[in-house]
Amino acid sequence: MSEPLDLPLREQAAAIATGAVDAGELLEATLARIEARNPEINAVVETFPDRSREMLGAAPPGPLRGVPVVIKDEWPLPWRAQRFGAADMLAKTAPGESGPYRALREAGAVIVGVGNMHELGSSSTGNVSVYGPARNPWNVERCPGGSSSGPAAAVAARLVAGAVGADGVGSIRYPAAYCGLTGLKPTYGRSAMAGHHMAGVSTTIVSGPLCADAGDCRLLGSVLFGEELRAGDAGGLRIGVIENQVSEDAAPAVREACEAAIEDLRQATGGAVRAIELPELPAATLATVLIANSESLGSVTPQRLNELSPELSPLGRGLLKYRLMLPAVATVKAHQVRVMARQRLAAVFEEVDVIAWPTVPAVAPPLEAPLVELPSGTLTADAANVRGGALANLTGIPAISVPVGSAEGLPIGLQLQAAWGRDELLLDAAEELERANGRRWVEAKPPLASPEQTGA
Amino acid sequence: MEASNSADDFIPAALAAFGVEADEIELAVMGAAHAMFWPPILELLALDTGNVAPEPAPDLSQAPPRR
Repeated sequence: MSEPLDLPLREQAAAIATGAVDAGELLEATLARIEARNPEINAVVETFPDRSREMLGAAPPGPLRGVPVVIKDEWPLPWRAQRFGAADMLAKTAPGESGPYRALREAGAVIVGVGNMHELGSSSTGNVSVYGPARNPWNVERCPGGSSSGPAAAVAARLVAGAVGADGVGSIRYPAAYCGLTGLKPTYGRSAMAGHHMAGVSTTIVSGPLCADAGDCRLLGSVLFGEELRAGDAGGLRIGVIENQVSEDAAPAVREACEAAIEDLRQATGGAVRAIELPELPAATLATVLIANSESLGSVTPQRLNELSPELSPLGRGLLKYRLMLPAVATVKAHQVRVMARQRLAAVFEEVDVIAWPTVPAVAPPLEAPLVELPSGTLTADAANVRGGALANLTGIPAISVPVGSAEGLPIGLQLQAAWGRDELLLDAAEELERANGRRWVEAKPPLASPEQTGA
Repeated sequence: MEASNSADDFIPAALAAFGVEADEIELAVMGAAHAMFWPPILELLALDTGNVAPEPAPDLSQAPPRR
């Protein structure tokens, strides 16, 4: 058997269930590996070995009994309030039992640490955090992606086999693409959300799994959904592609890898590729940003903005203050764009089963200057990434990022989006793609995750 | 009158109206954000959405009702 720490999530669970692996030993080995590997990537910002041992001691015989996982700093735990990656997050928080915590506990999982995240969840890069930036295990000078930077880096470095992230504007899918993982953004409302400081307010944020492959996302996703995400048949898959900025204004290597993966998927499923049109996409992207930003304004007052912690980054302070200036009429229009985009997608999904385009248009940019070179010119990574990530959050549809290639030694991700409630189809399609490419990309590991590199 | 995306007038005026203080770095951040967001916001405002049938309290977990 492989080193238990390096097994997929589902194989760790199965090995513990059969007694082939001792859960206590796995926990201690995981904590040791975090201690050994984490300093290079700053993925895990806090561990609590005694709490983890208590969770293991009380773990019921669920589908993840004894399996170590990391949870993003976006969810409270009974012994720790979330910090949202920030010195000052405006909203009041307190320790507590969040929905994802309860789901993990009832499944028997063991939370071994809190994953870093981009400050206030406000970027696709992960290069700003109150804890210092998380780093990409494939190249520690590159961004891990955000805002679920730590969960992604932790799984990519094989500190754990699965982590819980959150996705309000692409925040699971961007780091999945940058770190070479599979990341599922569930249909809105389908996964555990209770206890989040924006629960009941946000219409874009969902919890979701980040794992090496679709099989592990299926297992961890089932726990977060509270229902089994059954495997189905992706045969005859109708794949929609779009000829516009989101697929064409991508770095050549990304575009080629994604086009090849789409063809692989078509062949593997005996399906078809069809051109679709989404004329609302540019407006939908802005609409998502406006809605997501306006929904977080409830706890903002001018006085509070004048009292922001000086430890909050200048970027965070400036953006919080700028949110105050977003015109209400634009947010009203944004909600109308949401209606239009949902109507359009409902029609599109009568013609195709999934929509495919690059998750992000370029590989992970440098931490120090997160800019990307695209055919249209140099853009900030955020401006480029949001074009492909926002639609699913605006409309509520599920989406998944799947690793499909590599350039400059960094992973490339393909995004698939499906109609509301068809999360299972995305997992089925991702598994078809894995089989088609011989699992080459889901089994690729960064140098940091090779035992000879770290001795851990 | 032509719309402007100049941050030099808009941001200090808005901050003053709200009574919010900002240092030079924050002003630079806001200026960069304004340069990025304002042109597409103006495009959005120009979009005629008068004919969009409302979807009251949309259930985002499901497809919209057929029309």
